[in-house]
Amino acid sequence: MKTLEFKTNINCGGCVSKVTPFLNKQEGVESWEVDTSNPDKILTIESDGATEEDVKTVLQKVGFKAEPVD
Amino acid sequence: METISIFETKEKNTKKGVKESFPVTGMTCASCAASVESVLKHTEGVFDANVNFANSSVLIEYDEGLNPNQLQNALREVGYDIIIDAGDPSEVQQELQQKHYQDIKSRTIWSAILTLPIFVLGMFYMQWEPGKWISLVLAFPILFWFGRSFFINAFKQAKHGKANMDTLVALSTGIAFIFSVFNTFFPEFWLSRGIEPHVYYEAATVIITFISLGKLLEEKAKSNTSSAIKKLMGLQPKTLKIIENGEEKEVPISSVQVGQTILVRPGEKIPVDGAVSKGSSYVDESMITGEPVPVQKSQGEKVFAGTVNQKGSFQFTAEKVGGETLLSQIIKMVQQAQGSKAPVQKLVDKIAGIFVPVVLSISIVTFIVWMSVGGDNAFSQALLTSVAVLVIACPCALGLATPTAIMVGIGKGAENNILIKDAESLELGHKVNAVILDKTGTITEGKPLVTDIFWKDKLENKNEYKEILLAIEAQSEHPLAEAVVNHLKEENIVQAEITSFESITGKGVKAQSENGSKYYVGNHKLMVERNIQIDATLIQTAESLEEKAKTVIFLGNENQVLAILAIADRIKETSKKAIATLQERGIEVFMLTGDNNKTASAVAHQVGITNYQGEVMPSDKAAFVEKLQTDGKIVAMVGDGINDSHALAQANVSIAMGKGSDIAMDVAKMTLITSDLQSIPKALELSKRTVLGIRQNLFWAFIYNIMGIPIAAGVLYPVNGFLLDPMIAGAAMAFSSVSVVANSLRLKRVKL
Repeated sequence: MKTLEFKTNINCGGCVSKVTPFLNKQEGVESWEVDTSNPDKILTIESDGATEEDVKTVLQKVGFKAEPVD
Repeated sequence: METISIFETKEKNTKKGVKESFPVTGMTCASCAASVESVLKHTEGVFDANVNFANSSVLIEYDEGLNPNQLQNALREVGYDIIIDAGDPSEVQQELQQKHYQDIKSRTIWSAILTLPIFVLGMFYMQWEPGKWISLVLAFPILFWFGRSFFINAFKQAKHGKANMDTLVALSTGIAFIFSVFNTFFPEFWLSRGIEPHVYYEAATVIITFISLGKLLEEKAKSNTSSAIKKLMGLQPKTLKIIENGEEKEVPISSVQVGQTILVRPGEKIPVDGAVSKGSSYVDESMITGEPVPVQKSQGEKVFAGTVNQKGSFQFTAEKVGGETLLSQIIKMVQQAQGSKAPVQKLVDKIAGIFVPVVLSISIVTFIVWMSVGGDNAFSQALLTSVAVLVIACPCALGLATPTAIMVGIGKGAENNILIKDAESLELGHKVNAVILDKTGTITEGKPLVTDIFWKDKLENKNEYKEILLAIEAQSEHPLAEAVVNHLKEENIVQAEITSFESITGKGVKAQSENGSKYYVGNHKLMVERNIQIDATLIQTAESLEEKAKTVIFLGNENQVLAILAIADRIKETSKKAIATLQERGIEVFMLTGDNNKTASAVAHQVGITNYQGEVMPSDKAAFVEKLQTDGKIVAMVGDGINDSHALAQANVSIAMGKGSDIAMDVAKMTLITSDLQSIPKALELSKRTVLGIRQNLFWAFIYNIMGIPIAAGVLYPVNGFLLDPMIAGAAMAFSSVSVVANSLRLKRVKL
């Protein structure tokens, strides 16, 4: 199990509801959460095999940007 | 098959794209807009997509062979939608908004109609057996049909471990309902244990009705979506005349190229940015500079799209077209600034975020405590008390707390000439600690007026000269001539007859009266050039007037100067006092203007502003707002012109002057329908009072219910065997609602 963190532009509840079905479907994502009150809109993913690339790709499909946080 | 055909058409017409604008639904913030844009851009057959969040539309350039349904499907997959086959996107948008309002309205009315009998039964016929069943039937649609949005939203929040007002409503009404249904069907469960089974249908339904009513009030307070962008776009003419091979040709604006020569006739709008190549005229550039006086443009000087040519005609060479023009950039920046603002988190949601977990914990603790010390009936007592805690915790008046205060606040504003478009600015106003004022039209009257006339000593027949002056100025094309004409007409001066009239470009005019004597009206240079004598005192006066940033005009006959006139954009009488009031309250006041530094300094000095800046472009104003915001200031911007619109959209609180341009009023969230700046401190004070009112309301909404929680948990039980009584729940509900409404109405009597 690995924790991945991303800076995103998931800004509000509306955005969260848009990405929800996609992240839930994504294989290798155990659980995930977005802190929309953080100015960087940090997306935290408990990964069970999903890579940073996977997450970036799936978010891009929904039209959102994600930058891994080191 | 289908993929191939798309591929083929794409091959054939790589450049044949269709540009079409569609209304988008489902966007809630600027990120959604980015998301829609990105999804569309990655859809096959789409060349470009541009979302305008401010009016919820998207401009898509896509392949001819692509069916808009495919675009729609791509978006639907992600949870947005576009409306295809719509005529005017903004009209559809408005219809949707209207429908949204109607939905809330009918939902509220129906819940209220169904709630009334439940309330009467629950309050007055508690013991009547069929009452429970009637209430159950009526309550079901209220909760799960008219109130379904609360449950849906609460569920969405819960999935992310968050709670807001919807959670609180869904939780307490849901539990009250389920508990009541259980008690309706299985009263023996409690009766066998010696406990009276109460139902709480009225508590559940009254909450839904009240909160729906609150949402309705809030929705009503909001006005229609802003049409500012549409109006800005309308500033650009659709067609223009170019000169090609010496011939005049009318072409659509989209086809104009850099380097082409464009002809502008009197009264026409300038279509693109460029430099004058032939002829000269005065051009009204108020949309860029905010200055009402048209500026002279002669060869080599820059002209901008959207500005208005006055009486002359000229040709110019196009330098920037399409999205490059200054006007397009203003439009783009206004859109971005409007869309990029994060919504203000509501105080209620913040409180609910804390309140919900706390109440849940109390309920769990209650359950555990009863289980461990409850004795024989431990489980049923534990269940009863823990549920009772959740039922009583929900403040019915919560839904009324914010909207009633805001409704009264908006009404109070209107009484004081302050029109408030949305609740957000009313909630933010009290935090403002920096106010930026535009100069022209805000601090000043916004139009040039004659402020002084000084006559040569011992001059007779002044009226005769005035008549001649009026006749000359009435024929002049100079933008300031109008000020003189208006001034003299107010004095009831009658125009004299003049025989010849000659304009001396850049200096003034020359005219001859009926009896043959010549007169000159113009600047100092003209008088010197024609060897016209000026008294030493008049020269001194003129110099001191110029220092005050006034424009001085000389009237002379062939030998001597007869009078000097000072023209200036007069400062409003109340501006100084209003600015002083703001400063006394610890608010920093800034002045920004497109006018020159000398005038800026003179005006700022006269009204007591030390922080000012002249010669600022529209985007500089917005950048200045942004800079203050990054310094942690809450900024209010006050302006009247199109050149202020970007800064208005950027500011936390935006205030437009009622006499200003429509676009500024559309962008701004507040409009002062008086020219008196003293309304600004009033508006901020009103915000302070309203926010205070909201806070008091929330206190009243919660306090009675909070007091009920320990009783519901059973703290009195060991003392006198007292558990939560529906009477207590009902009283808490009634008291909090009455207190909230009464407190909101108190705002009406506040003196601003």
